[in-house]
Amino acid sequence: MALLLRSLTRGRHIVSAHHPTCILYRHAVPMGTSAKDEMQKFWDKNTQLKRPLSPHITIYGWSVPMMMSISHRGTGIALSSGISLFALSALFLPGDFSSHLDLIRSLSLGPVLLSAAKFTLAFPFTYHSYNGMRHLMWDAGKGFGIPDVYRSGYTVLAMSFLTAAVLAVL
Amino acid sequence: MAALHRFGSVCGRGVKSVLLSKSALIRPLLSTNRTQQPPFLLGSQIRMSPVHNASSSASFHWTLERSLSLALLGMIPAAYVYPGAVMDYSLAAALTLHGHWGLSQVVIDYVHGDAKVKAAKAALFVLSATTFAGLCYFNYHDVGICRAVAMLWSL
Repeated sequence: MALLLRSLTRGRHIVSAHHPTCILYRHAVPMGTSAKDEMQKFWDKNTQLKRPLSPHITIYGWSVPMMMSISHRGTGIALSSGISLFALSALFLPGDFSSHLDLIRSLSLGPVLLSAAKFTLAFPFTYHSYNGMRHLMWDAGKGFGIPDVYRSGYTVLAMSFLTAAVLAVL
Repeated sequence: MAALHRFGSVCGRGVKSVLLSKSALIRPLLSTNRTQQPPFLLGSQIRMSPVHNASSSASFHWTLERSLSLALLGMIPAAYVYPGAVMDYSLAAALTLHGHWGLSQVVIDYVHGDAKVKAAKAALFVLSATTFAGLCYFNYHDVGICRAVAMLWSL
């Protein structure tokens, strides 16, 4: 569609019905390099010249959307690591799941500490899930306005805390 | 397609001219021949065959990522309502794949240089494969994911 629009802006050609040739593509030019190549050239040039990296996260003013975005990535990495640790211990540690639970039970942790531990497990999960829904809304094209971003962000934070708190006392 | 032709005249002479110009000058581009053939766009035929190039495979991957995320969201309540072996293995697959794709994006963002990227991708692949193997082992030889969560939470 973009090709058609580009050709139309460069002047209209009236072609009779007897010559249905493909004139609308005359002004289309193929891309020279891909985005990946461009990025690679950028990094190669800068590492070769040994240029220092400009200060970015140390000087830029933090905002709630920025913090929520990196937290989404952080919770994702944490959850993935947790799952991998769980899987690796299933493969390589001796004893089955019940024996490991018995080990925890033998520590005789108080109910408050147990709830705190459950909250610590549940919160990354609820945050990543709710913020994930927010991401999917963006992918559908909705909610990009700045007030909407803040509103949905605060909603995600509130829901994450509430849901994790409810799960912690179950 | 008629809208496109109208847009073309906008770009040529500005918005006002479109509103003021006589409608006779702006004709639909479809079908200038009087035969029974289906209407053609003047000058070309739009082909609707699928495009196979690097960018379309990337956008397909993007769509797959979002579909998997959506499916995984649905699996959370489903696992609560219908725990069992089918749910266990579905969760194992969906969780490891979602994690693998997510961590690949982290590698793409932060790891630079051909050798480092290759090493990181290989290490990630090994981690994801081992994770999936471990979860399947747990599902088969031990209580399974759904039951394990229930047991852990009843502590």
